[in-house]
Amino acid sequence: MNHAAMPNRTVLQKLFERPSIHTMAPATKIAVYGILLFWTAFVVFPIYWLLITSFKEAADVNGGPVFLPWIDFEPSLHAWKELFVFDYKDTLKAYVNSIIIALSSTLLSILIGSMAAYALARIEYKPKFGTIVLFVACMVGAVVAIARLGADLWPTLAAALGVFYFLARVLSRHFKLTVGNGDILFWMISQRILAPIVVVVPIYMMFQSVRLLDTHIAIILTYSVVNLPIVVWLMYDFFKSIPIDLEESAQLDGASRLMVFWDIVLPLSKTGLAATTLLVMILAWNEYLLALFLSTSRAQTMPILVAAMNAGERGILWWSMSVVIIVMIIPVVLMAIILQRFIARGLLLGAVKG
Amino acid sequence: MTVVLDSVTKSFGDLKVLHELDLEVGDGEFLVLLGASGSGKSTALRMIAGLETVTQGRISISGRDVTNELPKYRDVAMVFQSYALYPHKTVAENIGYPLKIRRLGKSEIESQVREVAEQVQLADLLDRYPSQLSGGQRQRVALARAMVRRPAVFLMDEPLSNLDAKLRGHMRAELKHMQHELGITTIYVTHDQVEAMTLAHRVALLEEGKLQQLAAPKRIYNDPENLFVAQFIGSPPMNLVRGGLDSGIFAFGETQVATKHEGSCRSAVLGLRAEDCEVVDPQSGKLQAKLYANELIGDHVLVTAKAETGMFSIKAPKDFEAKMDSNIGIDFDLSKLFLFDDSTGARIR
Amino acid sequence: MNFATRFSEWLDRHSGRLFITPAVVMILVFSIFPLVASLIIAFSRIRLRAGSYQVRWVGLRNFEKQIFGSEQFHFLGTFAPISAAGWILAIGATAGILWWLFRYASRRFTIVGFIGRLITAAFGIGLAFLFAATLFSGKPFGTLGVTLFYVFIGCGIQFVIGLGLAFLCTQPVRGRNIFRVVFFVPLMITPIGVGYAFRMIADTTKGPFSPLWQWVGLGEYSWAADAWAARIFIVVGDSWQWIPFIFVVLLAALENVPRDFVEAAEVDGASGWEIFRDVTWPQILPVAATVMLIRVIEAFKIVDLPNIMTSGGPGIATESMTLHSLFAWRALDLGQSAAVAYLLLFVTVVVCVSFFNLVVLGRIRKS
Repeated sequence: MNHAAMPNRTVLQKLFERPSIHTMAPATKIAVYGILLFWTAFVVFPIYWLLITSFKEAADVNGGPVFLPWIDFEPSLHAWKELFVFDYKDTLKAYVNSIIIALSSTLLSILIGSMAAYALARIEYKPKFGTIVLFVACMVGAVVAIARLGADLWPTLAAALGVFYFLARVLSRHFKLTVGNGDILFWMISQRILAPIVVVVPIYMMFQSVRLLDTHIAIILTYSVVNLPIVVWLMYDFFKSIPIDLEESAQLDGASRLMVFWDIVLPLSKTGLAATTLLVMILAWNEYLLALFLSTSRAQTMPILVAAMNAGERGILWWSMSVVIIVMIIPVVLMAIILQRFIARGLLLGAVKG
Repeated sequence: MTVVLDSVTKSFGDLKVLHELDLEVGDGEFLVLLGASGSGKSTALRMIAGLETVTQGRISISGRDVTNELPKYRDVAMVFQSYALYPHKTVAENIGYPLKIRRLGKSEIESQVREVAEQVQLADLLDRYPSQLSGGQRQRVALARAMVRRPAVFLMDEPLSNLDAKLRGHMRAELKHMQHELGITTIYVTHDQVEAMTLAHRVALLEEGKLQQLAAPKRIYNDPENLFVAQFIGSPPMNLVRGGLDSGIFAFGETQVATKHEGSCRSAVLGLRAEDCEVVDPQSGKLQAKLYANELIGDHVLVTAKAETGMFSIKAPKDFEAKMDSNIGIDFDLSKLFLFDDSTGARIR
Repeated sequence: MNFATRFSEWLDRHSGRLFITPAVVMILVFSIFPLVASLIIAFSRIRLRAGSYQVRWVGLRNFEKQIFGSEQFHFLGTFAPISAAGWILAIGATAGILWWLFRYASRRFTIVGFIGRLITAAFGIGLAFLFAATLFSGKPFGTLGVTLFYVFIGCGIQFVIGLGLAFLCTQPVRGRNIFRVVFFVPLMITPIGVGYAFRMIADTTKGPFSPLWQWVGLGEYSWAADAWAARIFIVVGDSWQWIPFIFVVLLAALENVPRDFVEAAEVDGASGWEIFRDVTWPQILPVAATVMLIRVIEAFKIVDLPNIMTSGGPGIATESMTLHSLFAWRALDLGQSAAVAYLLLFVTVVVCVSFFNLVVLGRIRKS
């Protein structure tokens, strides 16, 4: 047999060749650590800058950059005091609003979304294509009537639904073409493509007409729908991965669909639910554009509050703004650090199957 | 409780997986549905459970037509191949789940669970989770969960195939004893002929959605209805020799064998079980062959020989010894051979 | 049967509908109905009165104004005669796209596939000519170009860096877990906060790098007044926020590549680069395509960063289409606002559907 000779390594080879399979070559090592450390600095620096700015006096900010507390400048708590002691009312209100809205909208979209996802994963649907076309036609008719003929919003909608119901009863026997679960799923997920700006004006008008503008309910409902596609997508894949034997066994034992869902499926989906919840909650917590339209003062959320600090009489008060931003990101960053692996797994689940 | 399938057919789109299956399972009977994968045996079981819809035909349990009933109204319990134990529930909660659904009181559930658990020797493990149990223990939990309801019918879908060989033998005996003791009608699906032969009162052998033979194990082994049954049952599989049958004389190549059958058939198949053959000296016996391999199984030696007509398996006494590639002769008992029509597969009697 | 049992029976029998109805109704009410209504608004001129509004049908005039009329500079950009180099570029791109279309038509042909590709091709050719007539001729882009810049350049950078970082984090590196947690954090930070933080950092007179700026002689330079510097700064901020998303998903995908494959290649003597190209990359491709699709969809919606960092300025240099629509709404021009929003929707759908069909499905078909 023929042994490959071990070459005597030159210095250059030593620098660029791995000494063993589990270690890197010295040159690679320097490059890899260099890049990673550089990126760490790039990621951390803006957060660090926010943090130290919140402890600076106006003079420290305006007089050129200072970096190190106690060395470069004397940290002061004035911005924090201002926020928490003197001027806490607005911030507190926005904070509470944000918490209420993020939690409720997340709960709602998780509930509705996972029910739909489960149904699509396990129950066969065959809605008729003709019925869907009929429904869309009735909706378009209603909207045209409202917009062009000046009909009232709610009565017209109710009338359109009535017409649809009647026609569907009469005609549905003649419709043959059906769509399947995959189509419904795609339809739901594809709602995410819709940029919020496209639908926000009619939503604004809708809430205005029922006098719900600037309320929690309006923002909660809107956020739930915006995040619904994410929930449906991630949870669909999760439910699909649960062995169907478990559900069939429970069914044979006499459990109803609802019991199977509540007793067997949901407890088994804890990890997926946790990851999805976290993701949706963060999206709701940070959302800006929809809140900008749907809230003016009473239901104002944190992002709106922060964005509005742009316009002050004395220019931007960077220190106060930094405090508010830090207060806003602390809970999310803590959650993210704790549940980092969780989220990655949840995201991957959706991404792998796509 | 009886189960009756009346010309039940199942199609998935254009694919027909079950052709007009007729089956009557008596009260307390242990019936095994045997077949290779894709034979339709699992589909038949799932239709009895109500987990698949019936395309055509009727199913009745205890004399009641349940063809279009939901699973929960059929009073059947099923043991799945994967056991389908709920991983987030303890053993006690798993076993008690069917009772909980029926809204029984807590204390009643507890006493019934304990009773069943003792029957299957699980009483010490009630607080564990399925992930903490061994394969055999999980199997018993699945069994206990089926038993606790006292259903009209037990359905079992390859319940032993996830166990290792040794445990499988043990659980087989336990299952047989338990079924005898409870006396509950049982329908059992497997692809393993040993399980079928050892457990069943009657075996229903399915192939490509058609029932090939429905008979007691002894009968199905000793009196196969057709070529497929003869080949499927028995290990090693039956030796086959193709040739022609002319008024009782079976001829292949230069050789002619006189059989006790009278008929004629242009292309016939002669079947012989390995235990009915014998290794004899070269140039004697009815067939000449070369030794291909010999394997000591324990109580006998399995000899594989290469004859002109194909491979031949012979069970030889355990002290048999011969060199590889040496010439041997094969002899067999004329009264023990089977004859089949090669074109239809039907037995020639 | 008593009432409770009957009710639970009824629930069970109708569970199929009950499970899916809430989601369908929610989407219909808050997505489909507004979508239709928005289309009507885009075809109208709306005057807000006290407590009500008056709607007048104007047909396609809102779109006409954006594409050909007085808002053309805003949406498409300022046009200039196409220079020789511009012609070469535009015709070259057109020829390439037509060649691609021809190749498809001559190999396999389905009517739906061909029409889909025809739309993609027309869109691509239109963009090539738009680019040649505006930016390449020295005139500014409109919001369409700016949005596409954010989407393609931004997402491209994010993908390359995200993949690179994920790959480095699968190497035998000490403190890997610390790196992955730190790299993940920006995703959680509210975009508004990101915008303000980058505004502070990018300040050339008071920001942390101002000594550096002074030293290279750019102390008086304001990046916010330079169109390209402003756009690039917004892409930097956007990338800072979104690279973690791509990083996290690709890292998980990389770690899911079966060890056996890599080890088999290792034993066969493949180099690190060869292993990545021949073993790892094909394995993570489906995930990579999907994660990019998600990222592209979200990137089209960009509004917070330009609004906070530059308010769309200087001029309209950093204005995304969402911001364009938002400004039109602020000016109470609802029809124009809806028209721009619909144009955004159209562009998003064409790009995303093309990407999905050609890249994501293409990869799935191949594997």
